[in-house]
Amino acid sequence: MIRRRDTLKGVAAAAALPLAGPALAQGQGARTLRVVPQANLTSLDPVWTTAVVTRNHAYLVYDQITAVDANNVPRPQMAEGWVVGDDNREWTFTLRPGLRFHDNEAVRAADCVSSIRRWMARDTFGQALNAQVDELSALDDRRFRFRLKKPFPFLALAMGKSQNPCFIMPERIAATDPFQQIRDATGSGPFRFLAGEWNPGQRAVWAKFDGYVPRQEAPDGLAGGRVPRLDRVEWTVISDPATAASAMVNGEQDYWEYPLHDLLPLLRRSRDLVIEQRLLEGTYGVLRFNHLHAPFNNLAVRRAVAMAVNQEDYLRAVAGDDPRGWGVCEGVFTCGTSLASEEGSAILRTRNVEAARAALRASGYAGEKVVLITPSDYPQINALSLVTADLMTRIGLNVEVVSADWGTVIQRRASREPVERGGWSVVHTTSSGSDLGVPTIHLFLRANGPNAWFGWPQDERIEELRAAWLDAADEAESKRLGAAMNARAMEVLPYVPLGFYWQPSVWRRNVTGAFKAPATVFWNIAKA
Amino acid sequence: MLAYTLRRIVATIPVMAVVALFVFSLLYISPGDPAAVIAGDQATPADVERIRASLGLDRPYLVRFAEWAWNIMRGDLGTSIFTNLPVSTMIQQRIEPTLSLMVITLILAVCIAVPMGVIAAWKNGTIIDRLVMGFAVLGFSVPVFVVGYLLAYVFALELDWLPVQGYTPLSRGAWPWFQNLILPAIALGGVYIALIARITRATMLEVLQQDYIRTARAKGVAQPGILFLHALKNAAVPIVTVIGIGVALLIGGAVVTESVFAIPGLGRLTVDAILRRDYPVIQGVILLFSFTYVLVNLVIDLLYTLFDPRIRY
Repeated sequence: MIRRRDTLKGVAAAAALPLAGPALAQGQGARTLRVVPQANLTSLDPVWTTAVVTRNHAYLVYDQITAVDANNVPRPQMAEGWVVGDDNREWTFTLRPGLRFHDNEAVRAADCVSSIRRWMARDTFGQALNAQVDELSALDDRRFRFRLKKPFPFLALAMGKSQNPCFIMPERIAATDPFQQIRDATGSGPFRFLAGEWNPGQRAVWAKFDGYVPRQEAPDGLAGGRVPRLDRVEWTVISDPATAASAMVNGEQDYWEYPLHDLLPLLRRSRDLVIEQRLLEGTYGVLRFNHLHAPFNNLAVRRAVAMAVNQEDYLRAVAGDDPRGWGVCEGVFTCGTSLASEEGSAILRTRNVEAARAALRASGYAGEKVVLITPSDYPQINALSLVTADLMTRIGLNVEVVSADWGTVIQRRASREPVERGGWSVVHTTSSGSDLGVPTIHLFLRANGPNAWFGWPQDERIEELRAAWLDAADEAESKRLGAAMNARAMEVLPYVPLGFYWQPSVWRRNVTGAFKAPATVFWNIAKA
Repeated sequence: MLAYTLRRIVATIPVMAVVALFVFSLLYISPGDPAAVIAGDQATPADVERIRASLGLDRPYLVRFAEWAWNIMRGDLGTSIFTNLPVSTMIQQRIEPTLSLMVITLILAVCIAVPMGVIAAWKNGTIIDRLVMGFAVLGFSVPVFVVGYLLAYVFALELDWLPVQGYTPLSRGAWPWFQNLILPAIALGGVYIALIARITRATMLEVLQQDYIRTARAKGVAQPGILFLHALKNAAVPIVTVIGIGVALLIGGAVVTESVFAIPGLGRLTVDAILRRDYPVIQGVILLFSFTYVLVNLVIDLLYTLFDPRIRY
């Protein structure tokens, strides 16, 4: 006879039991780091796209020949070391023994050569290096050699830089056209990508690679020992910041890469959370003019705008009133780095709307429409844009703000047409400080007209100084040229620097081993 | 009936063809460039152009449409520009959460809204009626995301009864699955409950004035019998119609609800794809939504015959 109570008990028990699927091993939760990444991982190929989230995935999966330490100095990583000979035109790298890919194949010099070639085809610094490469070849399984047309002292830095460095893939994968996306994420890094668990937009999972041979040194920036101390790293994409904050407070997630600044006070109220700055470099704001059309093809108008800029206004709009969250940096090179200079930057210290208005009146500005395009779905850039819109209106420019999504903004900013035909006058963007430290990779300092970054400024003097810097004989000469470039940039204003803000991360108190680095990496991190 | 059903199924083909043409054309003329998104800030215009060519985005409209339409006819929805995964795989990965959310919301809404509407009609003009109608106005007025945040704050953060976010597949247990869907279903169901409750009340008020209801009362049929057997069955056709129309509401609401509760469903897939201009994914998902809507309408039409024997096809 079927009894009602028995039936109910059975239903309840069945509901509580898994219908299928693997049971979690004891203690697995403590060895799994649940992370809210800064964006959705949509592509696995760090050469094909420059997306930061893909680069962070690459740091988990791949290893590098060289990697920069906390002082941005390149150190050997997969390399045991390198020898520079023949008047600094020959670099020979030797790989550490025992390196293996996730498919258990040994890492060979041929894999490195193939990976370097693919990376050099796409990366800006890589392209600069490629222009000097006479020959790149594998000497045997553990050694490969660059022969250069002329000395390129930044070779190790180029491969090991923190943003879009050269990651090493198996030769069979690295042979893919650099403009085609790879599908296979086999690397030799400390974690393996679990392709079967990848659900783009929701989840991406990595497991510890037992065959990884870390260096014996302590981690230092991106250099040193990359010891995987977790069994699994699980990224869950939570696009809504309020939901991500709740998930952190509630203990449903362990680590949130880029919490929204507005939510930091709320997160600080939780005793279970640690809020710290992990990234070594701040994020820099950029106000870019379109130099092709009026009114910003007129230097006097650009200078009038610069006179009104007060970086603090921008930084408060992005990162709040706490001055520990941002910093003024009135030069084109990353503050605190060897090239940082404020020579000629007096114009950015004017910070006076009245003076700017007078300068605009004297500039010959004839009321031309200024179209400022802003991405409404990108909070930081949107905040920068709205401050500029207000500023420009106050000094007397005829401003039209066009608010669109990021996808539309990046398409429209490529237009060289005047504003009447769908063009633009002003855009904003942000950049990691790592990308503004040296002229080779500094996008916004290029002033080579049609080949420059959107806005297309043209200034022969800046380009001459840049070329001279590449050939600088010593540190003093390098600094002198850096200061000259800053002064010239402040004179002709290819763009206006807007200072930098810090992007802290949040993690649960039981997460240990987080260290400062120029990128978000998960080696050395454990969970108590 | 069978012939009618078959005729209706065949009629979906031209409807879907028009939808396909419309969606493709709309995306073609809309601004945005996936190649620029992929290339990033460092890329030169030549790089962007090369990526565009490698994706086939530089080909003429007609060539691209013909190729896409031909693939659709063969059941191939294409490959995502960004993930390199087949669109059908991405939809397959996302369909369970959305379907679960919609089914639970639908059940919840019908189970709550229909009795509410019936009781409001029965107690017409009383405080109960006013309360129900007040709730309906609230359900219409308060946006889904506000309800979502409030529910998450109270039941997840303050009381710690339910998770804030995420989705657990049904294969990992019915309770964990249900646990993740309770708050989103309530948030999404608010407007749906309001809609069904209002239409149920209005239709029931009309039916309760009919002669056969008076006759039933005169014969001594109990109140619940009058309300739920005699009146509700005769009021069912407009209610079922509204439930069907509401599926479109659910699809739209799911986009917001999935974002608030971080549910990896089709709504979020659509939004992400739109923001990145991942054309094959947008096209695939919209086609699926359109097909679902056409199918739901067919089911509703067939249900009419169940509630009203006078309707024959």
